[in-house]
Amino acid sequence: MTTAKTEGIFEKMMEREGPRAEFRAATALAIKTWKVELSYPLSVLYFIVSPFLWFIPYLLVGSAVAGTPTSAVFGTLAGTTDWVSYVAIGNAFSALALSIFWGTGNTFRREQNTGTLETLLTTPMKNATLVWGQMLHNMQHGGLGVILQLTFSVLFFGVTINAWGILPSLAIVALAIVGMQGVVFAMTCVVLLAKQGWMIIEVIGSSLMLVAPISYPIAVLNPILQYVAVSSPLTWSVESFRNFLMYGLMAPGILESIVVLAILDVIFISVGSVLFKHTDRYVRSQGALSEF
Amino acid sequence: MAAIAAQRMTESETRTEYLDRFKPRLMDWSAARVFMMKNLVIALRYPTNVLIWGLIPILWLAPYLLMMTAVAGPGTSEHFAEISGFNDFLTFAVIGWFVYRYIDTSIWSVGNNFRWEQFSGTLEPLFVTPVPWISILVGAAFSDTIQTTVSAFILLGMCTLLFGVSYAATMILPVIIVMLLMVLGLYGFSFMLAGMILVFKDPSVLTELISTAVFTVSPVNYPLQVLPTGVAFAAFLIPSTTAIIVIRELAITGIFQPLAFLQSIALLLGLVLFFWVLGVGAFKYAEKWTKTKGSIGGF
Repeated sequence: MTTAKTEGIFEKMMEREGPRAEFRAATALAIKTWKVELSYPLSVLYFIVSPFLWFIPYLLVGSAVAGTPTSAVFGTLAGTTDWVSYVAIGNAFSALALSIFWGTGNTFRREQNTGTLETLLTTPMKNATLVWGQMLHNMQHGGLGVILQLTFSVLFFGVTINAWGILPSLAIVALAIVGMQGVVFAMTCVVLLAKQGWMIIEVIGSSLMLVAPISYPIAVLNPILQYVAVSSPLTWSVESFRNFLMYGLMAPGILESIVVLAILDVIFISVGSVLFKHTDRYVRSQGALSEF
Repeated sequence: MAAIAAQRMTESETRTEYLDRFKPRLMDWSAARVFMMKNLVIALRYPTNVLIWGLIPILWLAPYLLMMTAVAGPGTSEHFAEISGFNDFLTFAVIGWFVYRYIDTSIWSVGNNFRWEQFSGTLEPLFVTPVPWISILVGAAFSDTIQTTVSAFILLGMCTLLFGVSYAATMILPVIIVMLLMVLGLYGFSFMLAGMILVFKDPSVLTELISTAVFTVSPVNYPLQVLPTGVAFAAFLIPSTTAIIVIRELAITGIFQPLAFLQSIALLLGLVLFFWVLGVGAFKYAEKWTKTKGSIGGF
Protein backbone atom coordinates (compact mmCIF):
# COMPACT_ATOMS: atom_id res chain seq x y z
CA MET A 1 0.00 0.00 0.00
CA THR A 2 1.38 3.41 -0.92
CA THR A 3 2.12 6.01 1.73
CA ALA A 4 -0.46 8.37 0.23
CA LYS A 5 -3.13 5.67 0.46
CA THR A 6 -2.27 4.87 4.11
CA GLU A 7 -2.32 8.54 5.01
CA GLY A 8 -5.70 8.81 3.34
CA ILE A 9 -7.09 6.03 5.56
CA PHE A 10 -5.64 7.66 8.68
CA GLU A 11 -7.10 11.02 7.73
CA LYS A 12 -10.48 9.43 7.18
CA MET A 13 -10.22 7.73 10.57
CA MET A 14 -9.30 10.96 12.33
CA GLU A 15 -12.12 12.84 10.64
CA ARG A 16 -14.79 10.37 11.66
CA GLU A 17 -17.26 11.91 14.10
CA GLY A 18 -20.94 12.05 14.98
CA PRO A 19 -23.28 9.71 16.84
CA ARG A 20 -23.24 7.11 14.03
CA ALA A 21 -19.46 6.80 14.14
CA GLU A 22 -19.49 6.53 17.93
CA PHE A 23 -22.23 3.90 17.79
CA ARG A 24 -20.15 1.86 15.33
CA ALA A 25 -17.17 2.11 17.66
CA ALA A 26 -19.31 1.04 20.63
CA THR A 27 -20.64 -1.93 18.63
CA ALA A 28 -17.10 -2.95 17.70
CA LEU A 29 -16.13 -2.85 21.39
CA ALA A 30 -19.15 -4.95 22.36
CA ILE A 31 -18.27 -7.55 19.70
CA LYS A 32 -14.64 -7.54 20.83
CA THR A 33 -15.72 -8.35 24.42
CA TRP A 34 -17.97 -11.17 23.17
CA LYS A 35 -15.01 -12.62 21.25
CA VAL A 36 -12.78 -12.45 24.34
CA GLU A 37 -15.42 -14.11 26.53
CA LEU A 38 -16.21 -16.83 24.02
CA SER A 39 -12.53 -17.69 23.61
CA TYR A 40 -12.64 -19.15 27.14
CA PRO A 41 -14.80 -22.32 26.99
CA LEU A 42 -15.60 -22.10 30.70
CA SER A 43 -17.04 -18.63 30.17
CA VAL A 44 -19.75 -20.08 27.98
CA LEU A 45 -20.63 -22.73 30.56
CA TYR A 46 -20.68 -20.15 33.34
CA PHE A 47 -22.80 -17.79 31.28
CA ILE A 48 -25.43 -20.51 30.91
CA VAL A 49 -25.51 -21.74 34.49
CA SER A 50 -24.85 -18.53 36.44
CA PRO A 51 -28.40 -17.11 36.34
CA PHE A 52 -29.67 -20.31 37.99
CA LEU A 53 -26.81 -20.51 40.46
CA TRP A 54 -27.46 -16.96 41.66
CA PHE A 55 -31.15 -17.54 42.08
CA ILE A 56 -31.11 -20.95 43.78
CA PRO A 57 -29.70 -19.80 47.17
CA TYR A 58 -32.58 -17.31 47.47
CA LEU A 59 -35.09 -19.98 46.57
CA LEU A 60 -33.57 -22.28 49.21
CA VAL A 61 -33.60 -19.54 51.84
CA GLY A 62 -37.27 -18.87 51.15
CA SER A 63 -38.09 -22.58 51.25
CA ALA A 64 -36.24 -22.98 54.56
CA VAL A 65 -38.33 -20.33 56.29
CA ALA A 66 -41.66 -20.58 54.46
CA GLY A 67 -41.93 -24.28 53.63
CA THR A 68 -44.41 -23.47 50.81
CA PRO A 69 -44.32 -21.27 47.67
CA THR A 70 -46.69 -18.77 49.29
CA SER A 71 -46.46 -16.72 52.45
CA ALA A 72 -49.14 -14.65 54.14
CA VAL A 73 -46.53 -12.45 55.85
CA PHE A 74 -44.99 -11.70 52.46
CA GLY A 75 -48.44 -10.90 51.10
CA THR A 76 -49.00 -8.13 53.64
CA LEU A 77 -45.64 -6.53 52.78
CA ALA A 78 -45.40 -7.04 49.01
CA GLY A 79 -48.99 -7.26 47.88
CA THR A 80 -48.55 -10.83 46.63
CA THR A 81 -48.25 -14.07 48.57
CA ASP A 82 -46.31 -15.70 45.69
CA TRP A 83 -42.79 -15.03 46.96
CA VAL A 84 -41.21 -17.41 44.43
CA SER A 85 -42.36 -15.36 41.40
CA TYR A 86 -41.51 -12.10 43.19
CA VAL A 87 -37.95 -13.25 43.99
CA ALA A 88 -37.37 -14.99 40.63
CA ILE A 89 -38.25 -11.90 38.56
CA GLY A 90 -36.35 -9.59 40.92
CA ASN A 91 -33.27 -11.78 40.76
CA ALA A 92 -33.42 -12.03 36.98
CA PHE A 93 -33.27 -8.24 36.82
CA SER A 94 -30.47 -8.10 39.38
CA ALA A 95 -28.33 -10.31 37.10
CA LEU A 96 -28.58 -7.59 34.46
CA ALA A 97 -27.76 -4.85 36.98
CA LEU A 98 -24.75 -6.75 38.31
CA SER A 99 -23.47 -7.37 34.82
CA ILE A 100 -23.74 -3.66 34.05
CA PHE A 101 -22.23 -2.41 37.33
CA TRP A 102 -19.28 -4.79 37.35
CA GLY A 103 -18.68 -5.27 33.65
CA THR A 104 -18.99 -1.62 32.70
CA GLY A 105 -17.79 0.10 35.86
CA ASN A 106 -14.48 -1.68 35.67
CA THR A 107 -13.89 -1.22 31.93
CA PHE A 108 -10.83 1.02 32.20
CA ARG A 109 -9.17 -1.12 34.85
CA ARG A 110 -9.73 -4.33 32.93
CA GLU A 111 -8.31 -2.89 29.71
CA GLN A 112 -5.38 -1.61 31.74
CA ASN A 113 -4.76 -5.07 33.23
CA THR A 114 -4.73 -6.67 29.81
CA GLY A 115 -2.45 -3.93 28.43
CA THR A 116 -4.95 -2.60 25.86
CA LEU A 117 -5.98 0.66 27.52
CA GLU A 118 -3.46 2.89 25.74
CA THR A 119 -4.38 1.43 22.35
CA LEU A 120 -8.06 2.11 22.97
CA LEU A 121 -7.41 5.62 24.26
CA THR A 122 -5.51 6.55 21.12
CA THR A 123 -8.32 5.21 18.92
CA PRO A 124 -10.15 8.19 17.38
CA MET A 125 -13.35 7.91 19.41
CA LYS A 126 -14.70 9.61 22.51
CA ASN A 127 -13.58 8.14 25.82
CA ALA A 128 -17.19 7.83 26.94
CA THR A 129 -17.76 5.54 23.94
CA LEU A 130 -15.42 3.04 25.59
CA VAL A 131 -17.83 2.92 28.54
CA TRP A 132 -20.94 2.88 26.29
CA GLY A 133 -19.45 0.03 24.21
CA GLN A 134 -18.91 -2.05 27.30
CA MET A 135 -22.42 -1.15 28.44
CA LEU A 136 -23.78 -2.37 25.11
CA HIS A 137 -22.02 -5.70 25.59
CA ASN A 138 -23.18 -6.10 29.19
CA MET A 139 -26.71 -5.21 28.19
CA GLN A 140 -26.66 -8.07 25.67
CA HIS A 141 -24.86 -10.42 28.06
CA GLY A 142 -27.05 -9.57 31.05
CA GLY A 143 -30.20 -9.46 28.91
CA LEU A 144 -29.63 -13.00 27.69
CA GLY A 145 -29.06 -14.00 31.33
CA VAL A 146 -32.44 -12.49 32.27
CA ILE A 147 -34.16 -14.48 29.50
CA LEU A 148 -32.40 -17.70 30.57
CA GLN A 149 -33.24 -17.23 34.24
CA LEU A 150 -36.89 -16.38 33.62
CA THR A 151 -37.29 -19.34 31.25
CA PHE A 152 -35.71 -21.61 33.86
CA SER A 153 -37.96 -20.22 36.60
CA VAL A 154 -41.10 -20.67 34.51
CA LEU A 155 -40.18 -24.22 33.48
CA PHE A 156 -38.95 -25.55 36.83
CA PHE A 157 -40.39 -23.43 39.62
CA GLY A 158 -43.87 -22.65 38.41
CA VAL A 159 -43.26 -18.92 38.05
CA THR A 160 -46.07 -17.35 36.04
CA ILE A 161 -45.46 -14.44 33.70
CA ASN A 162 -48.13 -12.23 32.16
CA ALA A 163 -47.46 -12.29 28.40
CA TRP A 164 -48.92 -8.78 27.97
CA GLY A 165 -46.22 -7.40 30.22
CA ILE A 166 -43.22 -8.70 28.25
CA LEU A 167 -42.93 -5.80 25.76
CA PRO A 168 -43.50 -3.03 28.35
CA SER A 169 -40.96 -4.71 30.63
CA LEU A 170 -38.39 -4.43 27.82
CA ALA A 171 -39.12 -0.71 27.66
CA ILE A 172 -38.44 -0.57 31.40
CA VAL A 173 -35.08 -2.30 30.80
CA ALA A 174 -34.23 0.47 28.31
CA LEU A 175 -35.16 3.17 30.87
CA ALA A 176 -33.27 1.33 33.60
CA ILE A 177 -30.10 1.21 31.50
CA VAL A 178 -30.04 5.00 31.17
CA GLY A 179 -30.18 5.46 34.95
CA MET A 180 -27.67 2.72 35.60
CA GLN A 181 -25.29 4.19 33.04
CA GLY A 182 -25.27 7.33 35.20
CA VAL A 183 -24.21 5.22 38.18
CA VAL A 184 -21.63 3.43 36.02
CA PHE A 185 -20.12 6.76 34.88
CA ALA A 186 -19.70 7.69 38.55
CA MET A 187 -18.11 4.30 39.28
CA THR A 188 -15.73 4.74 36.33
CA CYS A 189 -14.65 8.10 37.78
CA VAL A 190 -13.67 6.35 41.01
CA VAL A 191 -11.75 3.69 39.08
CA LEU A 192 -9.92 6.40 37.13
CA LEU A 193 -9.00 8.30 40.28
CA ALA A 194 -8.41 5.52 42.81
CA LYS A 195 -7.27 2.81 40.34
CA GLN A 196 -8.16 0.00 42.79
CA GLY A 197 -11.80 0.91 42.27
CA TRP A 198 -13.21 -2.60 42.79
CA MET A 199 -13.79 -1.74 46.43
CA ILE A 200 -15.98 1.23 45.58
CA ILE A 201 -17.81 -0.66 42.84
CA GLU A 202 -18.48 -3.48 45.28
CA VAL A 203 -19.72 -1.12 48.00
CA ILE A 204 -21.89 1.03 45.66
CA GLY A 205 -23.19 -1.98 43.72
CA SER A 206 -23.95 -4.07 46.81
CA SER A 207 -25.54 -1.10 48.60
CA LEU A 208 -27.85 -0.33 45.67
CA MET A 209 -28.76 -4.02 45.48
CA LEU A 210 -29.38 -4.13 49.23
CA VAL A 211 -31.93 -1.30 49.17
CA ALA A 212 -33.58 -2.40 45.90
CA PRO A 213 -36.71 -4.56 46.11
CA ILE A 214 -35.04 -7.55 44.45
CA SER A 215 -35.82 -10.37 46.89
CA TYR A 216 -37.92 -8.46 49.41
CA PRO A 217 -40.13 -5.37 49.42
CA ILE A 218 -38.52 -2.20 50.74
CA ALA A 219 -41.06 -2.22 53.58
CA VAL A 220 -38.67 -4.54 55.53
CA LEU A 221 -35.90 -1.92 55.44
CA ASN A 222 -35.50 0.64 58.20
CA PRO A 223 -36.90 4.15 57.42
CA ILE A 224 -33.52 5.70 56.50
CA LEU A 225 -32.75 2.90 54.04
CA GLN A 226 -36.24 3.26 52.60
CA TYR A 227 -35.46 6.90 51.75
CA VAL A 228 -32.22 5.80 50.06
CA ALA A 229 -34.19 3.13 48.18
CA VAL A 230 -36.71 5.53 46.67
CA SER A 231 -33.94 7.77 45.34
CA SER A 232 -32.27 4.92 43.46
CA PRO A 233 -33.24 4.24 39.82
CA LEU A 234 -32.63 0.54 40.44
CA THR A 235 -35.53 0.40 42.91
CA TRP A 236 -38.06 1.81 40.42
CA SER A 237 -36.61 -0.27 37.57
CA VAL A 238 -36.98 -3.57 39.43
CA GLU A 239 -40.43 -2.64 40.71
CA SER A 240 -41.77 -1.64 37.26
CA PHE A 241 -40.11 -4.59 35.49
CA ARG A 242 -41.63 -7.07 37.95
CA ASN A 243 -45.05 -5.41 38.04
CA PHE A 244 -45.36 -5.61 34.25
CA LEU A 245 -44.29 -9.25 34.18
CA MET A 246 -46.56 -10.27 37.07
CA TYR A 247 -49.66 -8.18 36.39
CA GLY A 248 -49.40 -7.15 32.73
CA LEU A 249 -50.41 -3.72 31.39
CA MET A 250 -52.74 -2.94 34.29
CA ALA A 251 -50.00 -3.33 36.92
CA PRO A 252 -50.73 -1.35 40.12
CA GLY A 253 -48.91 1.98 40.45
CA ILE A 254 -47.03 1.46 37.18
CA LEU A 255 -47.51 4.98 35.82
CA GLU A 256 -46.07 6.56 38.95
CA SER A 257 -43.07 4.18 38.82
CA ILE A 258 -42.33 5.04 35.18
CA VAL A 259 -42.54 8.80 35.77
CA VAL A 260 -40.23 8.62 38.80
CA LEU A 261 -37.80 6.37 36.90
CA ALA A 262 -37.71 8.80 33.95
CA ILE A 263 -36.98 11.74 36.29
CA LEU A 264 -34.23 9.80 38.09
CA ASP A 265 -32.78 8.77 34.71
CA VAL A 266 -32.39 12.41 33.68
CA ILE A 267 -30.74 13.31 37.00
CA PHE A 268 -28.39 10.30 37.12
CA ILE A 269 -27.25 10.37 33.49
CA SER A 270 -26.65 14.14 33.60
CA VAL A 271 -24.66 14.05 36.83
CA GLY A 272 -22.78 10.89 35.76
CA SER A 273 -21.82 12.31 32.35
CA VAL A 274 -20.60 15.60 33.81
CA LEU A 275 -18.59 13.77 36.47
CA PHE A 276 -17.03 11.49 33.88
CA LYS A 277 -16.14 14.38 31.56
CA HIS A 278 -14.43 16.34 34.35
CA THR A 279 -12.65 13.31 35.84
CA ASP A 280 -11.38 12.22 32.43
CA ARG A 281 -10.03 15.72 31.78
CA TYR A 282 -8.45 15.93 35.25
CA VAL A 283 -6.78 12.51 35.03
CA ARG A 284 -5.44 13.33 31.57
CA SER A 285 -4.05 16.65 32.79
CA GLN A 286 -2.26 14.79 35.57
CA GLY A 287 -0.88 12.27 33.05
CA ALA A 288 -2.23 9.53 35.30
CA LEU A 289 -4.60 7.75 32.94
CA SER A 290 -2.57 4.58 32.52
CA GLU A 291 -0.90 4.53 35.95
CA PHE A 292 -1.45 1.57 38.25
CA MET B 1 36.54 -19.78 22.91
CA ALA B 2 37.30 -16.75 25.00
CA ALA B 3 33.64 -15.80 25.01
CA ILE B 4 32.62 -19.30 26.18
CA ALA B 5 35.24 -19.20 28.94
CA ALA B 6 34.01 -15.78 30.04
CA GLN B 7 30.44 -17.02 30.11
CA ARG B 8 31.43 -20.06 32.20
CA MET B 9 33.31 -17.77 34.57
CA THR B 10 30.23 -15.59 34.96
CA GLU B 11 28.03 -18.62 35.60
CA SER B 12 30.36 -20.00 38.27
CA GLU B 13 30.56 -16.57 39.90
CA THR B 14 26.79 -16.18 40.04
CA ARG B 15 26.16 -19.66 41.48
CA THR B 16 25.32 -19.35 45.13
CA GLU B 17 25.94 -21.85 47.90
CA TYR B 18 22.19 -22.47 48.03
CA LEU B 19 22.10 -23.48 44.37
CA ASP B 20 25.12 -25.77 44.84
CA ARG B 21 23.45 -27.60 47.69
CA PHE B 22 19.98 -27.48 46.13
CA LYS B 23 18.17 -30.77 45.70
CA PRO B 24 14.53 -30.92 44.56
CA ARG B 25 12.21 -31.72 47.45
CA LEU B 26 8.52 -31.89 48.08
CA MET B 27 8.22 -29.03 50.56
CA ASP B 28 10.39 -26.08 51.62
CA TRP B 29 9.00 -24.58 54.84
CA SER B 30 11.51 -21.77 54.81
CA ALA B 31 10.26 -20.66 51.36
CA ALA B 32 6.66 -20.94 52.58
CA ARG B 33 7.48 -18.65 55.53
CA VAL B 34 9.24 -16.11 53.28
CA PHE B 35 6.32 -16.10 50.85
CA MET B 36 3.84 -15.72 53.68
CA MET B 37 5.78 -12.73 55.02
CA LYS B 38 5.97 -11.19 51.54
CA ASN B 39 2.19 -11.41 51.16
CA LEU B 40 1.59 -10.05 54.66
CA VAL B 41 3.91 -7.09 54.03
CA ILE B 42 1.93 -6.27 50.87
CA ALA B 43 -1.36 -6.71 52.79
CA LEU B 44 -0.16 -4.29 55.49
CA ARG B 45 0.38 -1.67 52.78
CA TYR B 46 -3.39 -1.85 52.10
CA PRO B 47 -4.96 -2.07 55.59
CA THR B 48 -8.34 -0.98 54.25
CA ASN B 49 -8.52 -4.22 52.26
CA VAL B 50 -8.70 -6.27 55.46
CA LEU B 51 -11.24 -3.88 56.97
CA ILE B 52 -13.40 -3.80 53.85
CA TRP B 53 -13.44 -7.62 53.68
CA GLY B 54 -14.84 -7.58 57.19
CA LEU B 55 -17.61 -5.14 56.23
CA ILE B 56 -18.57 -6.06 52.64
CA PRO B 57 -19.91 -9.54 53.60
CA ILE B 58 -22.54 -7.74 55.70
CA LEU B 59 -23.89 -6.32 52.43
CA TRP B 60 -24.05 -9.88 51.05
CA LEU B 61 -25.53 -11.40 54.19
CA ALA B 62 -28.16 -8.71 54.79
CA PRO B 63 -30.29 -9.48 51.67
CA TYR B 64 -30.75 -13.07 52.86
CA LEU B 65 -31.72 -11.94 56.36
CA LEU B 66 -34.13 -9.35 54.97
CA MET B 67 -35.67 -11.90 52.64
CA MET B 68 -36.13 -14.36 55.52
CA THR B 69 -37.82 -11.56 57.49
CA ALA B 70 -40.06 -10.63 54.55
CA VAL B 71 -41.13 -14.23 53.91
CA ALA B 72 -41.48 -15.50 57.48
CA GLY B 73 -41.69 -12.46 59.73
CA PRO B 74 -38.99 -11.28 62.15
CA GLY B 75 -36.58 -13.76 63.79
CA THR B 76 -37.95 -17.21 63.21
CA SER B 77 -40.54 -19.46 61.61
CA GLU B 78 -42.12 -22.72 62.60
CA HIS B 79 -40.86 -24.48 59.49
CA PHE B 80 -37.31 -23.23 59.93
CA ALA B 81 -37.19 -24.36 63.57
CA GLU B 82 -38.56 -27.75 62.56
CA ILE B 83 -35.99 -28.51 59.84
CA SER B 84 -32.93 -26.81 61.32
CA GLY B 85 -33.40 -27.39 65.04
CA PHE B 86 -32.67 -23.70 65.71
CA ASN B 87 -35.15 -20.99 66.55
CA ASP B 88 -33.37 -17.86 65.38
CA PHE B 89 -32.35 -17.66 61.72
CA LEU B 90 -30.24 -14.54 62.32
CA THR B 91 -27.93 -16.33 64.74
CA PHE B 92 -27.97 -19.34 62.43
CA ALA B 93 -26.90 -17.40 59.33
CA VAL B 94 -24.30 -15.10 60.91
CA ILE B 95 -22.14 -17.97 62.23
CA GLY B 96 -22.50 -19.63 58.83
CA TRP B 97 -21.12 -16.51 57.12
CA PHE B 98 -18.30 -16.28 59.67
CA VAL B 99 -17.08 -19.75 58.68
CA TYR B 100 -17.85 -19.14 55.00
CA ARG B 101 -15.25 -16.32 54.92
CA TYR B 102 -12.56 -19.03 55.10
CA ILE B 103 -14.10 -20.99 52.25
CA ASP B 104 -14.32 -17.86 50.13
CA THR B 105 -10.66 -17.08 50.79
CA SER B 106 -9.52 -20.59 49.94
CA ILE B 107 -11.26 -20.25 46.57
CA TRP B 108 -10.56 -16.62 45.67
CA SER B 109 -7.16 -15.98 47.22
CA VAL B 110 -5.22 -19.23 47.53
CA GLY B 111 -6.69 -20.88 44.45
CA ASN B 112 -6.04 -17.78 42.36
CA ASN B 113 -2.63 -17.03 43.83
CA PHE B 114 -0.59 -17.73 40.71
CA ARG B 115 -3.02 -15.78 38.57
CA TRP B 116 -2.61 -12.69 40.79
CA GLU B 117 1.17 -13.11 40.55
CA GLN B 118 0.76 -13.21 36.77
CA PHE B 119 -1.22 -9.95 36.81
CA SER B 120 1.47 -8.37 38.99
CA GLY B 121 4.15 -9.51 36.53
CA THR B 122 5.94 -11.62 39.16
CA LEU B 123 4.89 -15.08 38.01
CA GLU B 124 7.95 -15.83 35.88
CA PRO B 125 10.48 -14.87 38.62
CA LEU B 126 8.58 -17.13 41.01
CA PHE B 127 8.66 -20.04 38.60
CA VAL B 128 12.43 -19.85 38.17
CA THR B 129 12.98 -19.66 41.94
CA PRO B 130 14.48 -22.98 43.05
CA VAL B 131 11.73 -23.89 45.53
CA PRO B 132 8.82 -26.31 45.16
CA TRP B 133 5.68 -24.56 43.93
CA ILE B 134 3.66 -26.17 46.68
CA SER B 135 5.64 -24.25 49.31
CA ILE B 136 4.66 -21.00 47.57
CA LEU B 137 1.02 -22.05 47.75
CA VAL B 138 1.32 -23.02 51.41
CA GLY B 139 2.91 -19.63 52.16
CA ALA B 140 0.05 -17.86 50.36
CA ALA B 141 -2.48 -19.98 52.24
CA PHE B 142 -0.96 -19.07 55.64
CA SER B 143 -0.98 -15.34 54.93
CA ASP B 144 -4.53 -15.47 53.58
CA THR B 145 -5.69 -17.39 56.66
CA ILE B 146 -4.26 -14.70 58.94
CA GLN B 147 -5.96 -11.90 56.96
CA THR B 148 -9.24 -13.81 56.78
CA THR B 149 -9.25 -14.40 60.52
CA VAL B 150 -9.02 -10.64 61.10
CA SER B 151 -11.80 -9.96 58.54
CA ALA B 152 -14.02 -12.76 59.88
CA PHE B 153 -13.81 -11.38 63.42
CA ILE B 154 -14.61 -7.87 62.17
CA LEU B 155 -17.68 -9.37 60.47
CA LEU B 156 -18.71 -11.25 63.61
CA GLY B 157 -18.21 -8.15 65.76
CA MET B 158 -20.23 -5.95 63.40
CA CYS B 159 -23.05 -8.50 63.24
CA THR B 160 -23.10 -8.71 67.02
CA LEU B 161 -23.51 -4.94 67.16
CA LEU B 162 -26.01 -4.63 64.30
CA PHE B 163 -28.18 -7.69 64.81
CA GLY B 164 -27.58 -8.43 68.49
CA VAL B 165 -26.51 -12.04 67.88
CA SER B 166 -24.46 -13.82 70.57
CA TYR B 167 -22.65 -17.16 70.84
CA ALA B 168 -21.33 -19.41 73.61
CA ALA B 169 -17.79 -18.21 74.40
CA THR B 170 -17.18 -21.34 76.49
CA MET B 171 -17.03 -23.42 73.30
CA ILE B 172 -14.07 -21.46 71.91
CA LEU B 173 -11.54 -24.33 72.22
CA PRO B 174 -13.51 -27.02 70.35
CA VAL B 175 -14.50 -24.39 67.78
CA ILE B 176 -10.83 -23.52 67.19
CA ILE B 177 -9.95 -27.22 66.77
CA VAL B 178 -12.68 -27.71 64.19
CA MET B 179 -11.72 -24.47 62.41
CA LEU B 180 -8.06 -25.53 62.20
CA LEU B 181 -8.98 -28.87 60.64
CA MET B 182 -11.39 -27.18 58.24
CA VAL B 183 -8.75 -24.65 57.16
CA LEU B 184 -6.23 -27.48 56.60
CA GLY B 185 -8.78 -29.34 54.48
CA LEU B 186 -9.53 -26.18 52.52
CA TYR B 187 -5.82 -25.75 51.76
CA GLY B 188 -5.91 -29.07 49.88
CA PHE B 189 -9.11 -27.95 48.14
CA SER B 190 -7.52 -24.65 47.10
CA PHE B 191 -4.36 -26.38 45.77
CA MET B 192 -6.63 -28.33 43.47
CA LEU B 193 -8.22 -25.06 42.31
CA ALA B 194 -4.80 -23.48 41.80
CA GLY B 195 -3.95 -26.38 39.49
CA MET B 196 -7.20 -25.94 37.57
CA ILE B 197 -6.55 -22.22 37.16
CA LEU B 198 -3.05 -22.97 35.81
CA VAL B 199 -4.70 -25.09 33.13
CA PHE B 200 -7.87 -23.11 32.35
CA LYS B 201 -6.40 -19.62 32.99
CA ASP B 202 -9.53 -17.46 33.17
CA PRO B 203 -9.88 -17.21 36.96
CA SER B 204 -12.95 -15.03 37.09
CA VAL B 205 -15.23 -17.56 35.44
CA LEU B 206 -13.87 -20.76 36.98
CA THR B 207 -13.64 -19.20 40.42
CA GLU B 208 -17.13 -17.70 40.19
CA LEU B 209 -18.52 -21.04 39.08
CA ILE B 210 -16.91 -23.00 41.89
CA SER B 211 -17.52 -20.30 44.47
CA THR B 212 -21.25 -20.01 43.68
CA ALA B 213 -21.70 -23.79 43.51
CA VAL B 214 -19.94 -24.29 46.86
CA PHE B 215 -21.98 -21.48 48.43
CA THR B 216 -25.22 -23.00 47.15
CA VAL B 217 -24.60 -26.45 48.63
CA SER B 218 -23.05 -25.19 51.89
CA PRO B 219 -25.34 -24.80 54.92
CA VAL B 220 -24.49 -21.10 55.32
CA ASN B 221 -27.97 -19.51 55.25
CA TYR B 222 -30.14 -22.61 55.36
CA PRO B 223 -29.88 -26.14 56.76
CA LEU B 224 -28.87 -29.00 54.44
CA GLN B 225 -32.41 -30.39 54.81
CA VAL B 226 -33.69 -28.00 52.13
CA LEU B 227 -31.36 -29.50 49.53
CA PRO B 228 -32.27 -32.60 47.51
CA THR B 229 -30.86 -35.74 49.20
CA GLY B 230 -28.14 -36.37 46.60
CA VAL B 231 -26.92 -32.76 46.73
CA ALA B 232 -26.97 -32.77 50.54
CA PHE B 233 -24.79 -35.89 50.52
CA ALA B 234 -22.39 -34.31 47.99
CA ALA B 235 -22.15 -31.24 50.23
CA PHE B 236 -20.31 -33.34 52.81
CA LEU B 237 -17.48 -33.80 50.31
CA ILE B 238 -16.60 -30.12 50.85
CA PRO B 239 -14.41 -29.89 53.97
CA SER B 240 -16.32 -26.93 55.33
CA THR B 241 -19.79 -28.49 55.46
CA THR B 242 -19.14 -30.67 58.52
CA ALA B 243 -17.23 -27.80 60.12
CA ILE B 244 -20.09 -25.30 59.67
CA ILE B 245 -22.60 -27.75 61.20
CA VAL B 246 -20.38 -28.60 64.20
CA ILE B 247 -19.27 -25.02 64.85
CA ARG B 248 -22.85 -23.75 64.62
CA GLU B 249 -24.06 -26.43 67.04
CA LEU B 250 -21.30 -25.65 69.54
CA ALA B 251 -21.50 -21.87 69.26
CA ILE B 252 -25.29 -21.58 69.44
CA THR B 253 -26.23 -24.30 71.93
CA GLY B 254 -23.06 -24.18 74.03
CA ILE B 255 -23.42 -27.94 74.58
CA PHE B 256 -20.37 -30.18 74.08
CA GLN B 257 -21.10 -33.81 73.21
CA PRO B 258 -17.77 -35.70 73.28
CA LEU B 259 -18.79 -38.66 71.11
CA ALA B 260 -20.39 -36.57 68.35
CA PHE B 261 -17.44 -34.17 68.49
CA LEU B 262 -14.89 -36.98 68.10
CA GLN B 263 -16.84 -38.43 65.19
CA SER B 264 -16.77 -35.04 63.47
CA ILE B 265 -13.04 -34.69 64.11
CA ALA B 266 -12.43 -38.15 62.60
CA LEU B 267 -14.48 -37.19 59.53
CA LEU B 268 -12.63 -33.90 59.18
CA LEU B 269 -9.24 -35.65 59.49
CA GLY B 270 -10.27 -38.03 56.73
CA LEU B 271 -11.30 -35.07 54.55
CA VAL B 272 -8.03 -33.23 55.26
CA LEU B 273 -6.05 -36.29 54.15
CA PHE B 274 -8.26 -36.80 51.10
CA PHE B 275 -8.06 -33.18 49.97
CA TRP B 276 -4.31 -32.88 50.50
CA VAL B 277 -3.66 -36.00 48.42
CA LEU B 278 -6.13 -34.84 45.78
CA GLY B 279 -5.01 -31.18 45.88
CA VAL B 280 -1.26 -31.81 45.72
CA GLY B 281 -1.76 -34.54 43.09
CA ALA B 282 -3.99 -32.30 40.94
CA PHE B 283 -1.61 -29.36 41.26
CA LYS B 284 1.44 -31.46 40.35
CA TYR B 285 -0.40 -32.83 37.32
CA ALA B 286 -1.47 -29.34 36.23
CA GLU B 287 2.07 -28.03 36.71
CA LYS B 288 3.49 -30.80 34.54
CA TRP B 289 0.74 -30.32 31.94
CA THR B 290 1.26 -26.58 31.61
CA LYS B 291 5.05 -26.97 31.49
CA THR B 292 4.75 -29.56 28.71
CA LYS B 293 2.35 -27.32 26.77
CA GLY B 294 4.54 -24.28 27.44
CA SER B 295 1.48 -22.33 28.54
CA ILE B 296 2.49 -21.28 32.04
CA GLY B 297 2.82 -17.55 31.37
CA GLY B 298 -0.01 -17.42 28.81
CA PHE B 299 -3.24 -15.56 29.41
